[in-house]
Amino acid sequence: MKRESKGTKIISWICLGWALLVALVPLVWLVMSSFKQDPLARPGFQLPESIYLNGYISTFKDLHVMRYFGNSLLVSFASVFISIVMISMSAYVVARLKFKGKSLVNMMLYSTMFIPATALTYPVYNLVKSLQLYNTRGALIFVYACSGLAVSFFVIKNYYLNIPPEMEDAARIDGCGYVSTWLKVIFPMARPGILTAGVLAFLNNWNEYYWASLVLIDKEKMTVPALLSTFTTTFRTNYNGLFSAMVVIILPPIILYIIFSKFLVQALSGGAVKG
Amino acid sequence: MKKKKNRLGIKRQLFILAFLAPTIVAFCMFYLYPIITVFATSFCKWDYTNIQTPEFFGFANLFENYKYIFDTYPYFWEALRNSLSWALLGVVLQIPVATLIALAFSRKGRSVKIIRNIFIIPNMISSAALGMIFLQLYNPSYGIVNPVIRIFKEGFTDNILLLKGPAFWAMTFSYIFFTGTTTLMILGNIMAVPEEIKEAAKLDGASGWKADLYITIPMIKDTLRTVSILSATSGFLLYNEVFFLTKGAAGTYSISYVIRELAITSPRAQFGRANSVASIQILVGMAIIFAINLGYGAVGRRRLKKGGSL
Repeated sequence: MKRESKGTKIISWICLGWALLVALVPLVWLVMSSFKQDPLARPGFQLPESIYLNGYISTFKDLHVMRYFGNSLLVSFASVFISIVMISMSAYVVARLKFKGKSLVNMMLYSTMFIPATALTYPVYNLVKSLQLYNTRGALIFVYACSGLAVSFFVIKNYYLNIPPEMEDAARIDGCGYVSTWLKVIFPMARPGILTAGVLAFLNNWNEYYWASLVLIDKEKMTVPALLSTFTTTFRTNYNGLFSAMVVIILPPIILYIIFSKFLVQALSGGAVKG
Repeated sequence: MKKKKNRLGIKRQLFILAFLAPTIVAFCMFYLYPIITVFATSFCKWDYTNIQTPEFFGFANLFENYKYIFDTYPYFWEALRNSLSWALLGVVLQIPVATLIALAFSRKGRSVKIIRNIFIIPNMISSAALGMIFLQLYNPSYGIVNPVIRIFKEGFTDNILLLKGPAFWAMTFSYIFFTGTTTLMILGNIMAVPEEIKEAAKLDGASGWKADLYITIPMIKDTLRTVSILSATSGFLLYNEVFFLTKGAAGTYSISYVIRELAITSPRAQFGRANSVASIQILVGMAIIFAINLGYGAVGRRRLKKGGSL
């Protein structure tokens, strides 16, 4: 292989350096500040005088972070499960069978890409109230399961289209009905596509703030992002506590990412990039 | 024989119906019904005084809410200008930077892989948490932005989030460079470009960034179009950053923030007016997507006309 020219290398390294800077500066500063007894006394990038851990101790003692992680996990998993099952069923029908109104279904789902969820704020808020779901975790599961239909639908449908139709014919000859053909043959084959859609939806729901702050009131039902908006009043001038709590809040997703980065990178890039 | 086929037909119909039903129900509940409500009630007097019964303005005063939003409501034009700017910056700043980084990631090497994995970390954190982090970074008494400004401008003690102008950019920079997932999608597509094409380009004397510009980028045009639309719409809908950083102070309102303030936050909630802003948000959002599609289509056609098939 021909070696790359000097110019190419320099541009590459500038880009890589920039990427590193963007990702690390805020996080490193946050962690550093969380060790300072008084961030006001040593502002900016000054190193802490000594490692001060009281903020972390009180975060675990008083904030009950595990509860909020539990809420977030429950809501994200339940909503992703519902929406992915729902979508992988309808996407299969649209991808594989001919029927009247197929283009209507396609168009319907496509149109949701053009509808910003925030525009629907008040009607959805009302709907959640009239379904008796207001201020329950069920409300969030409902909202998350129904939003973002389009992306999952197109990712999964494209995957179905790549599966050779002979697979179904073979299953039919073996006497499988429609449902069992899908369940036993097609669904397992489409797993990578379904996984990609699921991971994308999970990340979205896990980090979602807008609806979480809208339909939940009781603090003990909140997801992690919704909890964040209470921080400025919870901590007021206790900056050490604030920084420590923020580190604790962002740590679990980062740890999970480090463990699963191989899988995540592959899923997000559509399988083309090795993790 | 015919009977059997018929029975199969019914089974088939039932299967199709059963598999489509949940998605269609979800669509109707979450999209169809709300969107009809939004458009219909944007022509109604509907506020905290008549929560249960929206009143139609009548055809003579059909656009009463819109008139109020355009002429009287103080933040609408500011919000529209900001949201449109964020949409535009998504296409002209966010996507080019994300593409450059993706191209750099497509080179081989161990350190490249490590940097790539680090770059995605901020995307694992919610934008609410990032908003909180940047609120601290911009803090004039203990943040890191003011010390940097002081190098150029001695004695600078203002909070940049409260300065009209800088506040807009401070907000923009709090999210626009965190493109981990977008970069990965682009990278995925770059890696999927067939090896033969790259080899052929090399024989023609194109390598490195030259090859990227003339061969790789045109090959991944469809992905670029998709991520451009995604980043323009998410810029247009920006809410979390506004809420966490400024709450609309110093000229940083966004359309989403206006909708939420009118419909929910304000004690004198004005649902009809909020829904007329929402209608505008839907229509302008569609126009943005249309414009991007048109733009990418035009670029493609021009290339073809020039005779280059790539």
